[in-house]
Amino acid sequence: MANETEDAPTNSASESHATSADVERNPTDEDKNEKLLNDAVQFLPTDAVKDLLSKEVCLRCIFRLFGMQVPICSSLSVKSLLCHVLGEQADLHQNISSVEPNICRSCLGILQFTYCGDKERVVENESACDFAVAIAELVKKEGHQIDSFSLEVSMPPTILENENKLSLYVKRKYRSEAWFKDRSISECSSTKDALKFALTNPLETLLDVKCGISTFHIRLTYSRVEASIRIQNFVEKIEGCKRRKVDAKNCLDTVKDKSAITGVENSVVSTTEVIPVDEKSSNGLQDNEPSETHEFPLKKVNEPCRLECLCFRTPIYFGGRYLKYSRNVSQTRWIIDEERMGEASIEEIIGGNILPMCRGDSYKFHAAGREDIDVRMLGSGRPFLFEIQNAREVPSELLVKEIESKINSLENKLVRVKNLKIVGSQGWTLMREGEAEKQKQYAALVWISRPLQDEDFQTISSLKETQILQKTPIRVLHRRSPLEREKIINWMKIEKIAGSSQYFLLHMCTQAGTYIKEFVHGDLGRTNPSIGSILGCRAEILQLDVTDVKMNCFLTE
Amino acid sequence: MNDHNVYQTNNSETEETPEQAQQEREKEMQDDEEELHKLLLPNVHDLPLTPPSAIDFNFVAYFAPDFLKPGHDQYVYRHANGLCVIGLAPTHVAFKDEGGITAVDFNVGKSDRSGFKVTGKRKKNAQHFESNTAVCKVCTNNDSYIVRCCVKGSLLEVNNRLIKQPGLLNSSVRITELLMS
Repeated sequence: MANETEDAPTNSASESHATSADVERNPTDEDKNEKLLNDAVQFLPTDAVKDLLSKEVCLRCIFRLFGMQVPICSSLSVKSLLCHVLGEQADLHQNISSVEPNICRSCLGILQFTYCGDKERVVENESACDFAVAIAELVKKEGHQIDSFSLEVSMPPTILENENKLSLYVKRKYRSEAWFKDRSISECSSTKDALKFALTNPLETLLDVKCGISTFHIRLTYSRVEASIRIQNFVEKIEGCKRRKVDAKNCLDTVKDKSAITGVENSVVSTTEVIPVDEKSSNGLQDNEPSETHEFPLKKVNEPCRLECLCFRTPIYFGGRYLKYSRNVSQTRWIIDEERMGEASIEEIIGGNILPMCRGDSYKFHAAGREDIDVRMLGSGRPFLFEIQNAREVPSELLVKEIESKINSLENKLVRVKNLKIVGSQGWTLMREGEAEKQKQYAALVWISRPLQDEDFQTISSLKETQILQKTPIRVLHRRSPLEREKIINWMKIEKIAGSSQYFLLHMCTQAGTYIKEFVHGDLGRTNPSIGSILGCRAEILQLDVTDVKMNCFLTE
Repeated sequence: MNDHNVYQTNNSETEETPEQAQQEREKEMQDDEEELHKLLLPNVHDLPLTPPSAIDFNFVAYFAPDFLKPGHDQYVYRHANGLCVIGLAPTHVAFKDEGGITAVDFNVGKSDRSGFKVTGKRKKNAQHFESNTAVCKVCTNNDSYIVRCCVKGSLLEVNNRLIKQPGLLNSSVRITELLMS
């Protein structure tokens, strides 16, 4: 069981490498801490401490049990802590390793900063600072640019049970003592809080930012590494069969068959249901009423918890409006049978420029509605939102403007972006708000089977807030429900085209969700009324452009 | 006094008055609208005299002349997504009768085709039809003719308007039903 952190300084000589020495306070702080520590230690009942140590409870658990703030001793190793507590006693000095338990039965090694890391190697850290160094290394390796961080810890439920048992034990045994009455045992902090407390200051120093509510998360997940006896209990619990006597080997075979339990091959089980069994009375326990909550001493622990350390940023959002000038560009990536439809996609053009600047893992594209591939999006543009996962860097306002210019100056001029900026989570609600009520404005190139007459202009312009009934268009009926949808056409206007008597531009404003193409040609009579039916002739649509999406978000300020 | 003058000169050179800013914005908006309009207008010379109809553009038209009986000419328009529209071809013998088609009745075979409802994306309740299944009956003054399905598939929808307005068939030879194959 090698001490990993000792190897660390020699590995990356090229980078400036922080050690716990950098983290320790300057001499005056250290003196202050020493004094604080000495003062606090005065109040510790020595015999209670010795008793707990003999029950294989680690020193830091003892401290937190008696309400002592652990960060005072962040940089101190257990050895020096023990010296403070038990005084300079020659015989204890020699037996220090036998005094402090290998793995604490209460915190399972967590507060001893011992864990099972990558490739099943056990890592032991002397102090909280050493542990913090390892975590900070991970953050720097990923190349995250941060201005704050939030620390999250997740522990197996056993820890909480152990805390309760320990608490109860101390209460029962020492309730008559004077020192017990003086200080309330409820001052004790939980294992989780104690760990967070120990790590916060060193991490703040190493990463040079403050801990608090942040988009950047450092998540420590501890889980049990189980021996086969636990699997036995686990399997029996889920099968609801308490009487079955299976030995460990058979049990493993049964477990292999059960696809519900994954990863058991490596004997790592996330213990959501296993109740710790006291080894001394294991054989008869299945038949007993479970009263383990009051049992003490705690079970001996042979292996520390497995630790998974994850650091990531919560998604960041880019909002803006896009314009589409091409009739051969789809909104999202569209691939049928491995062949791409259309020349390019808006999602890829814009996302492909944003993602690398954030050094994110991936993006998700959301837009307020969509248009067909052969329909241009002009005018004020359509609001969109890009969600970037785990960005390593949050671009500055200037950089965001640069991204916008870059997209707009692309050679093929297929797409244009307006008002690109980073928005908070309110951008999402802004976009979805009233999506169904929003109106859209269009310009369609329409042909009719007879020449345009003067009355037609008036006929069309006079129709305000016209209600139409649209059956689901045939072209989408294969993937949408057959329904009849009522839609409102707010207004329409005919614009004559010089040089043609049967072609004209139809401007209109409609309710969101209206199928414009079907409204013009009537979809074999399934949309009523239609332009054809209103003008009393056959009507066809050649081109469609969206000229305005009337929404109040991501507009120029 | 001099200070006062200098202040005024600076103001007019480097800053805009609110009115000027407003004018600038309006001009910008007008420019944008003009640009937009230019994009919208097509080049008249490129426009075909008669454009392809929506049917020609989106469907592949198949004809079934003399389907199971002489003179029973029908068409099938097939969309790229697999949906088919079945109808009477203009050369169908029914149109030759005087007065054209007078009634359309969907109550043929075992059930009334216009009765049931197909719901949802999965198209529940859609009846399976073979190519010789009867879809409807069209009546003229002299005779009545059975219209058959022509293709194998599930019936999604019938053209209910024909029940009330059978004359539509005479004028524009409209669909009688929609099928999913």
